[in-house]
Amino acid sequence: MTAAARAAQPAVGDAYLVARAQEGYLDAYELLVQRHSAMAYRVALRLTGHHHDAQDVAQEALIAAWENLSRFRAGSSFSTWLYQIVTRRALNKVSRGQAASSLDLLPGVADPAGEPATQTERNLAVDAVTDALLALPFPQRAVIVLHHFEGLPYAETASVTGSTESAVRSHLFRARRALGKKLEEWR
Amino acid sequence: MSGPVNDPPPGDPAARPLLGAATLPCGADVDLLLEQVADGRGADRDAHQQRCVHCQAALSEFTALWAPVTELTAAPIPAPPGLAAAVMSQIRFLVRDIWYTLEITESGTIRIAARIVAALARDCARMIPGVRVALGRSTQGKIAALAEKATFGHRHPHAAVGVLGRTAVVDLAVAVTYDDPAHQVARDIQRQVIATLRDQVGLQSVKVNVTVDDILGDDEI
Repeated sequence: MTAAARAAQPAVGDAYLVARAQEGYLDAYELLVQRHSAMAYRVALRLTGHHHDAQDVAQEALIAAWENLSRFRAGSSFSTWLYQIVTRRALNKVSRGQAASSLDLLPGVADPAGEPATQTERNLAVDAVTDALLALPFPQRAVIVLHHFEGLPYAETASVTGSTESAVRSHLFRARRALGKKLEEWR
Repeated sequence: MSGPVNDPPPGDPAARPLLGAATLPCGADVDLLLEQVADGRGADRDAHQQRCVHCQAALSEFTALWAPVTELTAAPIPAPPGLAAAVMSQIRFLVRDIWYTLEITESGTIRIAARIVAALARDCARMIPGVRVALGRSTQGKIAALAEKATFGHRHPHAAVGVLGRTAVVDLAVAVTYDDPAHQVARDIQRQVIATLRDQVGLQSVKVNVTVDDILGDDEI
């Protein structure tokens, strides 16, 4: 696509693009991929804790979404559906025994050497959150990522995780407490 | 826990076991206070919290405690370069490209992927006044299947001469602006796309099917 053509392409709703993609317009799906690939990668990274796993999960999820596009129900939210696929794929990846041990959830946090003390301390705090997040059982980690990091309401988090709103609240309750205690220890 | 939760000495977790208790001395639920902060409502204090030193101290403490989480949440995490391209590359491989034969000469065969033809047509359509969105595909449904079957022989240079020859069929789905007559925009698209494909790709026989499937106002997205 030329730069001029891209600039002339206005933002259209996901529903329009999904409908066109279902009719066979790969262009439409390409726009959906461009729009949602960052989200897919970000969620996968926070759930798996590893860049390469996250890249695999995001890629597999976006391809799986295309392969199953015919099953997508009109009126649903494409992003909710994609959140669901990414979360399930991340769970599969994590449960296959690959320990999530990397601290690269926050790309761009520079080498602490030479930084002001407060910045270094802040980066260490962020690392502590990352560690604490990855130490949570997957269901708790998933609800924390979806609700607190991605900002999904309780109902949508329940929809993504195939759970109930009360179960989401219960997982969040325990996850927040566990994260909070880790941060208290760290301080 | 007894007494107000206030000014805990730094670096001594035992001195501020906020999460070690279920409630504050005032009876407030500790987990609900943490939820309030984690949901970004730490400053939205109800009537009790506005006059309760225990709640105020706990909310302040949780706000400081949760700050690294808030920071991590706000940190931008862009998609790795090439992720979207890799996804689309795999999808295109799965659907397999359809090829148009342009020329078979003594020097060899010139072929071009149908998706390139569709992309050129789409980009051309997007530049036409009145077009808000344009999406292109090479052929559709049974036509695509037939074309694929027919062009399969092109791996053998002379096998499928004349099956598709220099003919291309391009489908374009477009959304036009409210003020422009849709049929006029569609005709402009056909004329311009045919000229572009003839000039840039050398396709002499081009059919352009235009579907206007939406009309958008200036403020609509």
